[in-house]
Amino acid sequence: MFEFLRYDGTKRIRGSIYLSAGMAALAAMVIWVYPSFSDSFDGDDLLEAYPPQLIQVFDVETMASIEGFLAFELYVFGWVILLGLYMAYSAAGVIADDVDRGRMDTLLAMPVSRPRLLAEKFAALAVPIVLVNVLVPPVILVSIRLIDESIALADLAAIHLFAIPYLFACAGIGLLCSVAFDRTGVAQRVALGGTFALFLVESLLEGTQYEAVGAIAPMRYFDPNEILLESVYDPVGAAVLIGMTLVLVGASTVWFVRKDV
Amino acid sequence: MAAIELDGLTKDYGDVLANDDLTFEVETGEIFGYLGPNGAGKTTTIRTLLGFISPTGGSARVLGHDITDRSALIEAKRRIGYLSDEPGFDEDATGTEILDLHAAVKGGERRDELIELFEPPLDRPVRDYSRGNVQKLGLVTTFMHDPDLVVLDEPTSGLDPLLQQRFAEFLREEKRNGVTVFFSSHVLSEVRRLCDRVGIIREGRLATIEPIDALLERTGKSVRIHADESIPLDALDVAGVHDLETAGRNGETTDAFTECTFTFTGDINTLLGRLGEYTLLDLSIEEAPLEDVFLQFYGER
Repeated sequence: MFEFLRYDGTKRIRGSIYLSAGMAALAAMVIWVYPSFSDSFDGDDLLEAYPPQLIQVFDVETMASIEGFLAFELYVFGWVILLGLYMAYSAAGVIADDVDRGRMDTLLAMPVSRPRLLAEKFAALAVPIVLVNVLVPPVILVSIRLIDESIALADLAAIHLFAIPYLFACAGIGLLCSVAFDRTGVAQRVALGGTFALFLVESLLEGTQYEAVGAIAPMRYFDPNEILLESVYDPVGAAVLIGMTLVLVGASTVWFVRKDV
Repeated sequence: MAAIELDGLTKDYGDVLANDDLTFEVETGEIFGYLGPNGAGKTTTIRTLLGFISPTGGSARVLGHDITDRSALIEAKRRIGYLSDEPGFDEDATGTEILDLHAAVKGGERRDELIELFEPPLDRPVRDYSRGNVQKLGLVTTFMHDPDLVVLDEPTSGLDPLLQQRFAEFLREEKRNGVTVFFSSHVLSEVRRLCDRVGIIREGRLATIEPIDALLERTGKSVRIHADESIPLDALDVAGVHDLETAGRNGETTDAFTECTFTFTGDINTLLGRLGEYTLLDLSIEEAPLEDVFLQFYGER
């Protein structure tokens, strides 16, 4: 058991460390510019100059505190969008890439069921998802101390904890694309497009009569502003994300079991 | 019990009928050659038997397990080795890492012995492998868990002649140990060297299934004659001469020749008896290429 999880997981470690380094660099840079940013503007002066559509799309609440600044510049942009898209993209290769490159025959010739193969390969995505959320927070914490600001440790821990089910849900979208399309390039493009479309649907429809449509987007259930500004944690949202992930993995499994590879 | 049984196995892609009502058996302990031109449906049959694609009609059993019963097929795969026509391995992994994965999943009691025999480069990533090296690694993964049935799709493609020879000896030894081999090929010399029986598939249908000796008899030889004198065409009026092409000296006559080629399915002694009266510069009698066999079998029909 778990041979494929171990194999794929091990293979993902190196890339996940590079990914974490990249996200840590982004975090350090955002935190580094914060003092000069907050000195140049009083309160939310700058925010008022932004087009309201942009503020809505990126769910910007305030930039007058380090928490608000981080919530937008780092978490909405870096975690919700960048990492969400990256996980969808990564997961889109999980099955399609092996089919595309003729490796699936070699794998399926072994005594392994398709549901097990798919589940183990998907579970191996825990490596980047967990590593980036474990390795980056200390860098954020130290960076904030270096600019003489502070952030509630519990909030920082919570945002990275709740990011995990969110990123798994995004990966689930990619996984479904991965079984739906045999060509990796197509699967990855659809996964990227689909995930970004969900982000737009969720943020643009907010406050309209179609707001309910946004309920299908994982982004609805992970709100960095809420966690960092109000210390409100949403376990129900996390449960919805876990449920969403299970549904996506389940649908992918049914599809993969039935399809000709 | 037959190692492989196909009963009306059909795969219809809508626009292409890749396998059309295939029914045959591969006996336990035999080496069965599955032949056919490119696109005939050989790989489709193999991939259906292993459950990669689902049949649209009929049924099949491997080692007694129904191929449409997913858990039964997984059980069967513990005792099956498979080498695809284009073995695909993780390009970033080294040979050792790939063999470790295979050993962990299905066992690898014969790994060391096979590495010694086929000598795949183990420390380099697969990305840097030549086609032949990928094939060597594939052969190790196919046999490392000591399977009872091996399914090989073009097993010697990419192997140099020395390794082809080594592989042939190895396969014969496996047969002596009771292993059943089902393999597809283009190469008649390989089929002839190894197979007990052959099945020929054309446009998805089984054209013939017979012992290799019977096939070879029908296949005939490719004969080339270069004579020092003009030989009258009548000399070749022997049963079994097909596709005769001749050339005369300075293009002089049409009822005599100095050079000729033809396919011969008759008695070689009769032919040599006829040619004995003439002075020849060269004479070659070779096995006909498989393509010619196909042409001979179906081309004119």
